[in-house]
Amino acid sequence: MRIGGLGVLLVVACFAHISVGSTGAGLLALFGDDAGARMVVWELRAPRLLVGLCAGACLGLAGAILQAAVRNRLASPEITGVGSGAVLGAVAASTVGGLAAQPAAMAGAALVGGLVGGGLLWVVAGRSGDVAVRGVVVSAVLVGGTLLLLTAKPQLAGAVSRWLLGSLAGRTWEHLAPLWPVLVVALVVACGLAGVMDVLAVDDDHAHAVGLAVVPWRTAALVTAALATAGAVAAVGATAFVGLLAPHAARALVGPLHRRLLPTAALAGALSVVAADALGQVVGVPAGAVTALLGAGVLVVVARRTGGFG
Amino acid sequence: MRLVALLGVFAAVAALALGTSFVLFPTTHLEQVVVWQLRAPRLLLGAAAGACLGAAGLLLRTSLRNPLAVPELLGVSGGAAAAVGTCIAFGLSVPGAPLTPALVGAAVGGALTLLAVRGAKGPAAVLLVGAAVGSACQAVLLAATAMTDSREQGVLVRYLLGSLTGTTWSALVPVGVGLVVAVPALVAVLPRVRLLRLGDEEAMSAGLRPGRARLAALATASLLVAVVVAQAGPIAWVGFFAPALAERLGRSGVVAAASVGAVVVVGADVLARTVLYPIELPVGGLTAFAAVALGLLTARKRVRV
Repeated sequence: MRIGGLGVLLVVACFAHISVGSTGAGLLALFGDDAGARMVVWELRAPRLLVGLCAGACLGLAGAILQAAVRNRLASPEITGVGSGAVLGAVAASTVGGLAAQPAAMAGAALVGGLVGGGLLWVVAGRSGDVAVRGVVVSAVLVGGTLLLLTAKPQLAGAVSRWLLGSLAGRTWEHLAPLWPVLVVALVVACGLAGVMDVLAVDDDHAHAVGLAVVPWRTAALVTAALATAGAVAAVGATAFVGLLAPHAARALVGPLHRRLLPTAALAGALSVVAADALGQVVGVPAGAVTALLGAGVLVVVARRTGGFG
Repeated sequence: MRLVALLGVFAAVAALALGTSFVLFPTTHLEQVVVWQLRAPRLLLGAAAGACLGAAGLLLRTSLRNPLAVPELLGVSGGAAAAVGTCIAFGLSVPGAPLTPALVGAAVGGALTLLAVRGAKGPAAVLLVGAAVGSACQAVLLAATAMTDSREQGVLVRYLLGSLTGTTWSALVPVGVGLVVAVPALVAVLPRVRLLRLGDEEAMSAGLRPGRARLAALATASLLVAVVVAQAGPIAWVGFFAPALAERLGRSGVVAAASVGAVVVVGADVLARTVLYPIELPVGGLTAFAAVALGLLTARKRVRV
């Protein structure tokens, strides 16, 4: 029932998204006679919408997985170093490696970066349980590294800030090609791991008691999250806080069981990116600016409520 | 501590002598101009910035009882950076730029953090709230550069990482004014911070209100950071690096943290100017990497929050 409401909102957001732009063309233009309007909708707006949907779903999914795997309600790609690592990988590939025109190679570089970022947090946080604060620090350091790359190619300031922020401008079908398989794989694997994540999210003793080997399953969950994050980041950039917002909204809607939480978080992520991009196009800012400002507010509320260890 | 002093003298001499032309004793007019108009103000700004950041970092880590409490996570440097960067990217002419927007931005960012922090549960929540405000400010700056496709890439680097490029004597005047206010505030707030270090309950039994004392410490640290960021940007992670290094040398006082901070920034700036000559790295990039190395070494051994 509540998922139905979310679905209705998503459909509305998609209609709004495809109708927003400098020409008045909407979805109906696809079936009309005006070739120019048909091209605008099919070549520009449709891929942009689909990339936004898939990237948002990936980020929402990644956030939900991370929150279970590191057992902290504040965990999300931007707070664990996975997201910033992926951005560093993507920016390195596009500035130093010159791979900007090959979306699949970008996704690979983002995946490597995301895994390195997550691994760095594992090293820094150790067993301290202080994942949130240390993750923020790891993340800030990785952003610093990304900016250092900028000194190598200073003319790319605009492009680098779009990566760090997250923007759907100019996304075409070729960006969608590597993204949707990543989403499908991550969604299938994550739903397969749903039962394991229910156990992981409680505590290690509980996991041992039911005979679950914690470390390998947690690693599998983290790799899945890194994969989903990397796919989204390689396509659109960081899009801050979607991975934090979506799982919280999903938990409020369907409760903590991952069998229902994971798909709902993906839906909520897709909704937030598409709505943010539609709003951003109206106001004239990248989608990531909208999600970052809204998400910062949510982070403030959640951090105050949980004291950072929720 | 003697080692720090020695390194400081060494770094200062190197900062004055090294560059496109090596000058130890300025004799010609050109050499005097290079040393006194270009290198000396840069050295002074670096030293002042490092000292302020070191002191601010010490205030924060002591009052929040967390070695990872750093000015970067306070919203102050983020707010200042966002304000200045936005003005430059959109080509707005503000009287007194870049100092006026920086101070306003720092005040807004810091005030937002302080407002959001009031009544938060425990030190970790304070840090995370600061991080949220900081990333919102960063988003504003990034959006401004992305939207205008600004050619001023130096703005992004300076106000996200920190750089001392192009310092003049006139840039030092507002720093001096800021220090006149900030230093007495620091002296006033230090005794309370020392009590906070013992823990909230002990501080309360000594007649201190921990929440208020923490706010005062945050406000002082914000002021110290704003003074620096307006001119040099948030020279990354010196506020983390300097107190941690001073502690490793066996000193936990504010003077030690400030002097280590000054030496670190001046030394890092000499390296940033000379290592990849003629390319000049932003000094904040070097300090960031030094901080990663130190962080990786110490973070695992640190007591948990």
